[in-house]
Amino acid sequence: MEAIFDFFSNPYYIQILTITGVYLIAALGLNLITGITGQFSFGHAAFMSIGAYTSSLLTLYLHTPFFLNLLLGGIIAALFGVLLGFPSLRLTGDYLGITTLGFGEIVRVVFINTKITGGAFGLAGIPRETNIILVYLIVVLTIISLYLIKNSRFGRGLVAIREDEIAAEAMGINTLFYKVEAFAVGSFFAGISGALYAHLIQYISPGDFGFSRSFEILNFVVIGGLGSIPGTVVGTAILALAPEFLRFVQEYRMLIYGALMVLMMTFRPRGLLGGVDLFQVWRNFRHKGLREKI
Amino acid sequence: MKRKWYLFLLVALMSAALVVSGCGSNEKTTAGDTIKIGFLGGKTGNHAHYGIETLKGMQMAVEDINNAGGLLGKKVEIVEGDHGSNSSEAASVTQKLITQKVAAVIGDPTTGITKLAAPICQSNKVVLMSAGAVGTGVVELGDYIFRDCLLDAVAAPVVTKYLAEDLKWKKVALVTTTGLPYSESLTSIFKPALDKYGIEIVTEQNIMEKDNNFSAQVTALAQKQFDGVIFTGYYNEGALFMKEMRKQGLQQVMAGGDGLLGKELYEIGEEAVEGSMVYTGFAVDTNNAVEKTKDFIEKYQAKNNNAQPDMFSAQGYDAVMLIADAIKAAESADPTVYREKLVQTKDWKGVTGTISFDANREPIKSPVYLLEVKDKQFAVKTVIPVTD
Repeated sequence: MEAIFDFFSNPYYIQILTITGVYLIAALGLNLITGITGQFSFGHAAFMSIGAYTSSLLTLYLHTPFFLNLLLGGIIAALFGVLLGFPSLRLTGDYLGITTLGFGEIVRVVFINTKITGGAFGLAGIPRETNIILVYLIVVLTIISLYLIKNSRFGRGLVAIREDEIAAEAMGINTLFYKVEAFAVGSFFAGISGALYAHLIQYISPGDFGFSRSFEILNFVVIGGLGSIPGTVVGTAILALAPEFLRFVQEYRMLIYGALMVLMMTFRPRGLLGGVDLFQVWRNFRHKGLREKI
Repeated sequence: MKRKWYLFLLVALMSAALVVSGCGSNEKTTAGDTIKIGFLGGKTGNHAHYGIETLKGMQMAVEDINNAGGLLGKKVEIVEGDHGSNSSEAASVTQKLITQKVAAVIGDPTTGITKLAAPICQSNKVVLMSAGAVGTGVVELGDYIFRDCLLDAVAAPVVTKYLAEDLKWKKVALVTTTGLPYSESLTSIFKPALDKYGIEIVTEQNIMEKDNNFSAQVTALAQKQFDGVIFTGYYNEGALFMKEMRKQGLQQVMAGGDGLLGKELYEIGEEAVEGSMVYTGFAVDTNNAVEKTKDFIEKYQAKNNNAQPDMFSAQGYDAVMLIADAIKAAESADPTVYREKLVQTKDWKGVTGTISFDANREPIKSPVYLLEVKDKQFAVKTVIPVTD
């Protein structure tokens, strides 16, 4: 019991759990775009940076309340999601991937060359507003809203688009509209995550939201299992925590991290929980258990 | 189907094992027996060189302290915090060092990560001594934030004075790497300095990082008369820029900050960079070095197969010694106590020269070493003392 208390009073553990939660929100957003709707996005970190910069600039210059800034960070990111979505979501597959990649670079370069964002120096001195309770409260809200979306008419439409876009269109789904909407919601969560990140780390620079960060988030989703919400949670938890917990092997940790990924993709190409319905598993398990008892 | 579940279980177990083993390595704090000093830096990744050299210097300093009987009767110990040059990990690593109750955090050698670590150290009231963050807006982040490196704001004017008075430069071309914070801030420091010592900027050219064709910019330079080039970027572009100048028949040399300091400068630039000048806060200058510096160089060479120490190892060494002397003076390893002594540091003699902290806790270091590329090597051209 005391060990558990020690664990939760250690600021180092709190810090990494908080940052994991922040990544989780972004990853859940990407899961809606890439996992459920099946649209490639390599520019998710760009939406994070839009949320991060929006909320930080509001906090630093206009001194508006944090919750408003957090929300606005998400909304502005969502607006850019729509803006990017309309022209680019007519594309599919690799072409869309390249477009989002380009968008990510544009955002980064704009932030580097704009005066108010501090250019390549970044923004320092952002007040710390994010805490672990707030982050996990938002994580829970995100998970609930994603479940609601996934099980709604809209969500089923998105899955239909992923499975077969032409068939979905034939069934009367306005595919472009649905895709843009999914993009906006996903970007909204990325924006929220970016805003939380900025108010946690207290220093942001365009380099923090480069291509590698986008790819990292995509990894979380793919390892966990595309389209699976519990999968995204598990994937993010493992990959975000692994570099920290592998610290004791020092120089070899990135090697092990890489090996873990190769193994994963070889043995479970659909991700840890890809294509697994946890409710179904639970039901099967109970049935089996009952049968054995009888 | 069954086999699939075993595999799933295996992966899940492996991941769980990772997490659990991590928890187990939670070190027991042995407060009281040793004074811990944290190292924050990348031992791997893009900036690994800086981190490893800083750590080497720190280890030498700790060894020297312990051989001389320790600090306040206790042994000094380094706690390593390797963030792999990864900014997203740096915050967690800093937090970890602080939970391990370090008396000070030394590092990170880069400005970006120092800015990231600063608020964490500040709010926990632990001294952060960066051994390399030369960018702007670092010590402003809090009164527990220090650095011991040669600032461009100190060095560039001194070097400009030398160029104007000893080398009689009257007109220069100024080349900036846009989008590179280091270069942009150095340009903004050079401009008023050039103005002050009566050197005219005849043309300003902008290049981009990772560019490798500078013919347009050099063609623009060829139209003008000037005595030399002030180049504020990094060595890769610097070397290629000089090559292009020689190709177009321009014979001027360039001068710049320690962004040009790297063997790549003459490896890429070859003959074109002969005579080019670079300033730095530390150089191996066996002829003029004081006893303390000579000692450091010899010890470093003995440990590292005769390799010469660079700026980062020397600054790492000085950072530990600065903190140690403040702890000694305050007779306490509590950062809130010894910080008072650290602030008052004046004319402190280290292996990189003399260090004083000014009213804003910014280091004023003397001397500035001006190096020159000679026969594909950096040779000390002159050592300029900083007066004022």
